[in-house]
Amino acid sequence: MVRTRFAAAGLLAALCLAPAVQAQQPAAPAPAWAIGREGSGMAATLAPHAPRLTVTPREQLPLSAIRLPQGFTAEIYAHGIPGARMMAEGPNGTIFAGSRTIGRVYAITRNPDGTTRTRTLLQGLNQPNGIAVMDGNLYVIAINRVLRFDNIEQNLDNPGSGTDLTAAFALPTEEHHGWKFVTPGPDGRLYMNVGVPCNVCDFDRDRFALLVSFRPDGSDRRIEARGIRNSVGMDHHPQTRELWATNNGRDWAGNDIPNDTLHRVRRSGEDHGFPFCVGDWADPGAPAQRNCSEFAQPAALLGPHVAALGMRFYTGTMFPEAYRNQIFIARRGSWNRERLNGYDVVVAKLDAQGNVTGIEPFLEGFRDEANQRFLGRPVDVHVMRDGSLLVAEEQYGAIYRITYRQ
Amino acid sequence: MTFLRSALLAAALAAGALTPAAAQDAARGAALAEARNCAGCHGAAGISELEKIPSLAGQPAEFITLQMILFRENLRQAEPMNQLSQGLTDQQVEDLAAHFAALAPAPPPDLAPRDAALAERGQQLSASMNCGVCHLPDYRGRNQIPRIAAQREDFLRHTLAQYRDSQRRGTDTNMNAVMYGVPDDAIAALAHYLAHQPARAE
Repeated sequence: MVRTRFAAAGLLAALCLAPAVQAQQPAAPAPAWAIGREGSGMAATLAPHAPRLTVTPREQLPLSAIRLPQGFTAEIYAHGIPGARMMAEGPNGTIFAGSRTIGRVYAITRNPDGTTRTRTLLQGLNQPNGIAVMDGNLYVIAINRVLRFDNIEQNLDNPGSGTDLTAAFALPTEEHHGWKFVTPGPDGRLYMNVGVPCNVCDFDRDRFALLVSFRPDGSDRRIEARGIRNSVGMDHHPQTRELWATNNGRDWAGNDIPNDTLHRVRRSGEDHGFPFCVGDWADPGAPAQRNCSEFAQPAALLGPHVAALGMRFYTGTMFPEAYRNQIFIARRGSWNRERLNGYDVVVAKLDAQGNVTGIEPFLEGFRDEANQRFLGRPVDVHVMRDGSLLVAEEQYGAIYRITYRQ
Repeated sequence: MTFLRSALLAAALAAGALTPAAAQDAARGAALAEARNCAGCHGAAGISELEKIPSLAGQPAEFITLQMILFRENLRQAEPMNQLSQGLTDQQVEDLAAHFAALAPAPPPDLAPRDAALAERGQQLSASMNCGVCHLPDYRGRNQIPRIAAQREDFLRHTLAQYRDSQRRGTDTNMNAVMYGVPDDAIAALAHYLAHQPARAE
């Protein structure tokens, strides 16, 4: 039913966009990501960038391009892991990384000499971007597929096929924005996104553009927030336990609108406005016009088209005290903008009440402003137990480790 | 169009990943292609003469690499390519890609005569479906996006139907969304129009 409604929406959009041509032949819907492009005034050949799917040798990684604040150093923690994205850490320190196109889950362990070993733990999955470890078990969420691998760190060389929990979670089957972010909550539940299967369209607001949580067995689905277009990064505040999430704004509304956003969920189930509003901006491409004051306002604007993805509160002690309980956010970088934006890691600074007081640069150097090229795309951050910060870089398949020394 | 806007547009067209120093080697790729007899199906110069087998000459290297990885990882099912790609290293895949990317594109020798009405309809469809946005206005492709100008007509028909029917996807699901619900006769018109586009090299 829902699928039919989307098709109808796409059909309608295509008809509106090119009535003269469409009148004499069967309607061809615009691709989901392109709906709303016409009339945007944006460059006609803007299209998503694809990551490299083959191994990039260590010596070709852009380590020397990375710029960090005084006292911080970057090193290559793992490499040769094409398409590496969201990270999770096992009790024994194994870092697991999911991916999208290449369909793999990687496992990275530390050798006694401090170097790392990477394994391709799983392969052939459909965009296994959702990775979480809970009670020593690895959860992998691909599009419409949920797998659990028990005691994973004891089975890195032979993980088997896992326990299939797909039917219990009953996630939507739509591919567009159907890849998942997942993270354990302090209440023992699994928190994840359900993205909207289009750029902007009319859709079932109880099924899509949600943050949801489940018991780990897939039961007891609860809507934590609605009206969040596609979140690929969440974390719970270490003190207040409130859920925070990044969100990707829609495309083709202009170079500088709308912003990607950071959301603070104060009450389970509250409405954050998509497709109607981003903050106080009422989207003229939305299926209806609504008063934006009806909706929960974003905690911060993160920049237009930056693709704000993985985010974590800093809970370690290695970094200066000023970073404690602040949020590191990976901004993968724009495609739907004539000048590149993002391709970095920023810090959202919070005051004692949890209000965001500013967004500050942290990891820079991947965006070549002069030549409009990029050297890397940070997609996730992870705070290790020693307080160092891992940054997963998808374009060339590497994980960097950031340390601090006074 | 103002100068500033032109400059912005030029910058946007150029924007992309700064690829590290090329690791691929077309000569090694040519030797490997010969050893594996790629020409047996894809043609001696990468111009296929077999039904539903694509021409590879002049395809963007990144596109060939992507497809070979999808075959090797069993993410795209198209025997015998899944079997043939097993065991290829990333380096070998990149070498093969460099080899085929360097060959001159051309239409197949058995290209059917052009049907003006069908081509006209295909052209209108291509315009309304924005094929040239990603594949570029002359359809030569770029990065992970294939060259479709002068591709075999039967292969284009087959592939477009596969995207429509969710039997295949690319680096993302854009083509599935583009082709959603497109009927066979529209696919035939698109394939005919594209197959008759000039095979310009870069």
